[in-house]
Amino acid sequence: MKTALNLRFLLAFAAALAAFYALYASLHWPFRAALFPRVIGIPLLLLALAEMLLSVLREEKEREGHAVDFELTTDVDPVVARKRTLAILGWIVGFLLLIVLTGFPIAVPLFVFLYLRIAGREGWVLTILITGVSWLFMDGLFNRLLHLPFPQGWLFALWS
Amino acid sequence: MRQLTALLFFLASLWIPGFSHGAAYYEGKTLTIVVGYKPGGGYDRYARLFQKFLPRYIPGNPTVVIQNMPGANSIIAANHIYSVAKPDGLTIGTFNNGLVIAQLTKVEGVRFDLTKMAWIGSTASDAAILAVRADVPHKTVDDLRKAKEPIVIGATGPGSSTYDFPALLKEFAGLNFKLVPGYSSSSDVMLAIERKEADGRGGSYASILPFIERGLVRPMIRTRVVVPEIEKLPVDEDLAASAKGKAIMAVRSTPEIIYRPYAAPPGTPAETMKILRDAFAKASRDKDLLAEAKKTKLPIDFVAAEDAVKVVQEVLRQPPEMAQEITKYIKFGD
Amino acid sequence: MLDAFILGLATIFQWQTFLIMLLGIFLGFWVGLLPGLGGSTTLALMLPFIYKMSPVEAFAFLLGMHSVVATTGDITSVLFGVPGEGTTAATILDGHAMAKKGEAGRALGAALMSSLVGALIGAFALALSIPVVRPLVLTFGAPELFMLAVVGIAFISSLSGQGGRALLRGILGGLLGLLIAMVGQDPQAGVQRFTFGQLYLWGGLDLVPVLVGLFAIPEIIDLAIRGTAIAGDLPKENLSSGVWEGIKDTFRHFWLTVRCSLIGTFIGIMPGLGGGVAQWISYGHAVQSARGDEERRGFGRGDVRGVLGPGAANNSKEGGALIPTIAFGVPGSSAMAILLGAFFLQGIMPGPDMLDKYLVVTFSMVWTMVVANIITVAVSLIFLNQLAKLTLVRGSILIPFILFLAFIGAYTSNNHLGDLLVLLVFGLLGYAMICCGWPRAPLVLGFVLGKIAENNFYISTIRYGSSWLLRPVVLILIILTVVVLLYPFIRFERKGASEGDATA
Repeated sequence: MKTALNLRFLLAFAAALAAFYALYASLHWPFRAALFPRVIGIPLLLLALAEMLLSVLREEKEREGHAVDFELTTDVDPVVARKRTLAILGWIVGFLLLIVLTGFPIAVPLFVFLYLRIAGREGWVLTILITGVSWLFMDGLFNRLLHLPFPQGWLFALWS
Repeated sequence: MRQLTALLFFLASLWIPGFSHGAAYYEGKTLTIVVGYKPGGGYDRYARLFQKFLPRYIPGNPTVVIQNMPGANSIIAANHIYSVAKPDGLTIGTFNNGLVIAQLTKVEGVRFDLTKMAWIGSTASDAAILAVRADVPHKTVDDLRKAKEPIVIGATGPGSSTYDFPALLKEFAGLNFKLVPGYSSSSDVMLAIERKEADGRGGSYASILPFIERGLVRPMIRTRVVVPEIEKLPVDEDLAASAKGKAIMAVRSTPEIIYRPYAAPPGTPAETMKILRDAFAKASRDKDLLAEAKKTKLPIDFVAAEDAVKVVQEVLRQPPEMAQEITKYIKFGD
Repeated sequence: MLDAFILGLATIFQWQTFLIMLLGIFLGFWVGLLPGLGGSTTLALMLPFIYKMSPVEAFAFLLGMHSVVATTGDITSVLFGVPGEGTTAATILDGHAMAKKGEAGRALGAALMSSLVGALIGAFALALSIPVVRPLVLTFGAPELFMLAVVGIAFISSLSGQGGRALLRGILGGLLGLLIAMVGQDPQAGVQRFTFGQLYLWGGLDLVPVLVGLFAIPEIIDLAIRGTAIAGDLPKENLSSGVWEGIKDTFRHFWLTVRCSLIGTFIGIMPGLGGGVAQWISYGHAVQSARGDEERRGFGRGDVRGVLGPGAANNSKEGGALIPTIAFGVPGSSAMAILLGAFFLQGIMPGPDMLDKYLVVTFSMVWTMVVANIITVAVSLIFLNQLAKLTLVRGSILIPFILFLAFIGAYTSNNHLGDLLVLLVFGLLGYAMICCGWPRAPLVLGFVLGKIAENNFYISTIRYGSSWLLRPVVLILIILTVVVLLYPFIRFERKGASEGDATA
């Protein structure tokens, strides 16, 4: 519960920071450009501070503050859950880095391949099959048919 | 799933370049036109029109593809053409004509020098005009000056011709305007005129033309750029009282001569540029293209590369004090 | 009037037109299903093919394609939690939650059937309102549009959940969304707001990468944590029997579906409100329609009404969205802008004539949308049970695939690496919000309405001073805002009176 509490505090803190920055930035703007950011920023700052305070002061009751939204699964052992969360976040950020470094057309099949082999521990046949399909999608549909401008990977940009 | 892959194979096969049968540079290659806007807008529609007809006039009949690279009013696309794209004649771009003014007023984020681009030309000229709703009682420019109630001019925001053009008229020609910016697109302004929230608007002649034909608005004032059918309208610069006003209006409207500019990265080989320039020039005289352009209401009026460069240089020739002064009245933006 | 309505239907049943429409539907089916295959990009790509067609054929093709996109986009939203299109994200909240409960079939059945009902009602509402639609659109000036945005923002209160703390977090989310909407060049002074010197941010944030991040990333994380298939380890039999159940749900909550369809049509007709708005307001309305707190608690956790509302509104709005384009020549979206190009190409001048002289053409367009939806739903029903089985595929196989769809879907909105960064940032924000019990729907609502509110506020005050506050429609909308705002409180009070003692 301690970590969840911390996260609540941090999110509210982040919202308060965003509001503070918005208000600060609006100081340099002409009135009409600044009005709406201020009208939004002031209550955001105040309410975020209130939420910060509440998340420190009050222990949350089970059903209180229920949002119209889904909740993360609680069936999994917290230690395992934590490990898996960090792993998937690593994969997501890694995918982004891979795209930046090698460009979309290479990064997509490569990522699919690596994920299936390392994280999924799938067999070779399935891995290669799905990698092939992903490559087909990427190259056939988005690259050749739609001609999306995929930037060259930084790795290749350095060489050329 | 199987159907999808079959479809993909089929569609992909359409795009794979055919066999080579000659020694032309563009043989079996792909020419990419980078468009600085999303699909559907004017720049995109012009590019797609030329996409269809350019292969006819390039030896080797390359495949021509469109890449949309929207953002920052096409500064992103222009930066890409200037410093990222290879100068091999296989990538060219089209971007906002107002980028000349962005360069002149040193807008943050501009990393190109338009004078150094390898120019192809412009596929059309267009002039900003001021149009008012047909039932507005004021018939002459003088009526607009003496109007008792200010005439409400709807606009998107500073930097667009819907805003800057009437703003200069108000400032330097003394027209009794009330500018109302905030409409999300220039066609939204048109709707505001129809519901009498606004009385008039500025904007490109080509985009207002359908509404003139429909009888919703009538044109009142034009810029120095001569466009057929509206030659007789009073010109903004003649209405300005001060020399400064005239000069700023001239700078604002000059880029409209190259309304749909096309350029290649700096350093593209001269022989390749000649092929591209010729192809654009010939394509814009193509009968089929002209017929299609007429139907889709995309006026064609090709401006050659030499003239395009002259336009760019003319705008950028302003002394620094003048550039400073211009920044007060003209912003670069959507 | 009536004969034009019928003649319009007859024109699309000429065999050649019909075949061309089928081709359009086939393409639109995949465009909707795959994030990253945007509706407008594909429309632009298809333009060259319509040069040789007659007007009726061309519009059968383009509209057949366009109107199916919203329907099949819901399928991706339900199955994977990735919005297939920017306008189908609201279906994720309850649709994907149902899929996780092993009710993917039911959710898909409900989404498709409500889409169909929405398309039908949208078409009929449109047909009935043709005589008044021009004055109606012209009545809604900037002051009215501003107030409509305010009504929408007021829905934040009912999308927040119960209790003071939940309301606080809902409002926080809504304000955050409004603030995010302010990013980009402001139209009043031309100032770059919150752009941090980045060219990418000049035009503001795009809806698609924001939505894909907010919704897809938390679902992917959750899927990875559970380490199972999307539908978990539930017994398989729920899955296949569900489609009929979902279809029946549409009629069980028929009036809700009808109301949300009408909301969609109305918002579609209003120029300048944008595609994202209709489904979120309908979602808010669906939540409101729940009786009692216990029922409302189910929303976001797989209440079928949360699928029906946005599903219906999504398709009914398409018919309405035709109006600004054809009757005024003012396209409401880039897809409609491309359609407008097709109008010119076919020698048709959009304008008042379309509601009068060329009424048959107009109705043939409306009918195309209806027929396209009927065909799509009928065909989809055959596949749905198979599609639902995708939720039984191992998560470790699906995750790279879903991530690919999410990344490419976000990237294609601007073709810029910044899209991916936005995806990541909003993905983390969405995840943090889920962890902390902040609802995401108010944030999206604030985001889609912020700019509309600001722009129309300035237009109203500059144009009319303060007198716009007294316009009759504005007054009605002010009252409506108050009702929407107070609705949860009235409910809260009633609940407080009956159960207050028990919980204290």
